[in-house]
Amino acid sequence: MSKTSYISRKQELPLKSENTSLFLQIIISIAVFIFAITLSGVLSIDSMISNWNKSILGSITVQIIPVNNTNKEKALAETMAYQEKAVEFLKSVNGVTKVTPLTDEQLDELLSPWLGDDVDISDLPTPRIIDVKISPDAEIDFAQLSMDLAQASPQATLDSHKLWLNKLISFADGLNLIASTVLLLVAAITSGAIFYTTQMSLGLHHNIIEILHIIGAKDTYIAQQYTKRMGFLGFIGGIIGLFFAVPAIFFIGNLALNIEGGIISDATLGFGDWAVIFSLPLFAMFIAMFTAYYTVKQTLKKML
Amino acid sequence: MTDNKNIIEMNNVGIRYGQGPEILSDIKLSLPQGSFYFLTGQSGAGKTSLLSLMYLAQKPSRGQISVFNHNLNFTNRDQLASLRRRIGVVFQDFRLLDHLSAFDNVALPLRVSGMDEKEIKKRVTELLTWVELEEHMFDKTSILSGGEKQRVAIARSVINRPDLLLADEPTGNVDNIIAGKLMKLFVELNKLGTTVVIATHSDKIINDFKYPRLHLQNRGLHIYYPTDTSMFGGLNV
Ligand SMILES: Nc1ncnc2c1ncn2[C@@H]1O[C@H](COP(=O)(O)OP(=O)(O)OP(=O)(O)O)[C@@H](O)[C@H]1O
Ligand SMILES: [Mg+2]
Repeated sequence: MSKTSYISRKQELPLKSENTSLFLQIIISIAVFIFAITLSGVLSIDSMISNWNKSILGSITVQIIPVNNTNKEKALAETMAYQEKAVEFLKSVNGVTKVTPLTDEQLDELLSPWLGDDVDISDLPTPRIIDVKISPDAEIDFAQLSMDLAQASPQATLDSHKLWLNKLISFADGLNLIASTVLLLVAAITSGAIFYTTQMSLGLHHNIIEILHIIGAKDTYIAQQYTKRMGFLGFIGGIIGLFFAVPAIFFIGNLALNIEGGIISDATLGFGDWAVIFSLPLFAMFIAMFTAYYTVKQTLKKML
Repeated sequence: MTDNKNIIEMNNVGIRYGQGPEILSDIKLSLPQGSFYFLTGQSGAGKTSLLSLMYLAQKPSRGQISVFNHNLNFTNRDQLASLRRRIGVVFQDFRLLDHLSAFDNVALPLRVSGMDEKEIKKRVTELLTWVELEEHMFDKTSILSGGEKQRVAIARSVINRPDLLLADEPTGNVDNIIAGKLMKLFVELNKLGTTVVIATHSDKIINDFKYPRLHLQNRGLHIYYPTDTSMFGGLNV
């Protein structure tokens, strides 16, 4: 005869002995595993994008390719005319705060390390450079800007490194969008699995639920037992998933570090990112609880 | 909502299962507060069905029912639950939760209404002792005998002193001595104000306790009073 203490009383619904428990736990573990890895990807791409953005934001440079002409004076005059056109155009662009063509002295300074002090640059067909300051919250489509600039002043080109970074950012943004879709899908599938197992379980325990109802139990009373159980399965599943995901994230991170070029090294997970990843079991728990609660309430509504 | 002293009122009530014929038709019935009725009729006459309408486990296929002055057509789920808490039910087939102990089964109505566990322990222990089940308090009900299960079911139905007690063959599985004791429990509850309806096949009980009788026959309900000398001289209501 077991002396059941009134504190550790048994739940009316024998949810602990259900054989769907293992299935759910595996589903949730795998879901959290995939979720954690994808999320770490999203977060590192985010940090990478913001690093790149920082290097783009603030200022860009525009080059004016010198016009080729045997008459040096004429060539310089034409080049300066193109520069004037480019400056005019750049000033009209939204988000541009300041446009400064570099003076001969400044250009001199820039080039002297390469050419030595003795060279008079006015003798050489050196490109002119325009420094363009951009407001930090301006949303500029650099690819479009580059085309418009070429239209306004055929000899002008936007700094290609930054243009390239900008394209990379678009690519990373796209990658992030796909990854976020994966996150949503994984959450939805988990939620769906919990929905169906809860519904199945409600059907299985139809008799008990009917008795509880007749005795005067509200749906919330029944929902609480499911919320508790599913929350527990969600949390444990989350811990297991995380347990496998963390080494995997480090492994992938190391692979990325081996890529030459330093681009990927801009991708790092900060303390906040890790905090989010480590809170995934809690997140899984809440999804499980919420889904179970919702399912029970919706399903029992149809009962008498 | 008419405010009167009837615990249950039925008008033009019919019950049918699925697409089958009506098993009860045009039932008209008023149970005054504090009354005590037997419910009789041949096997299959519809006693359990009629009781299940009263304990709000199903809706009639037609007609009007009021329970505690609540017209069931205008009662929402939460109100239904509150009404059900005022009704104690002994099911013909007990319907105990067999994976739980006798204690947990009897505690159920109290837990559902959120009573403090200390108080629950006190009350349940007391009642289970009274129905002579203190030895089996922590046994799962699946291993109890038929009569023991029946006493657990009865204890569960009265533990929260219901305003309405509906018992379907509550003494079918116990000997005459225990049956007498259980009947006295119902009578005592009735004296404290609980309205009681007991479905039974036992002529002995019906004769020993002079209460009016709701009799189901030919899909209809007839009421006989104990002073009637002949079963066929009863009133048709
Ligand atoms: N859930 C159900 N589905 C279909 N038919 C049902 C259902 N419950 C009862 N019936 C039918 O309704 C009729 C009345 O059944 P009910 O159980 O109410 O009779 P009863 O008077 O309680 O009988 P007994 O004395 O044997 O307990 C029977 O013919 C039965 O077959
Ligand atoms: Mg019956």
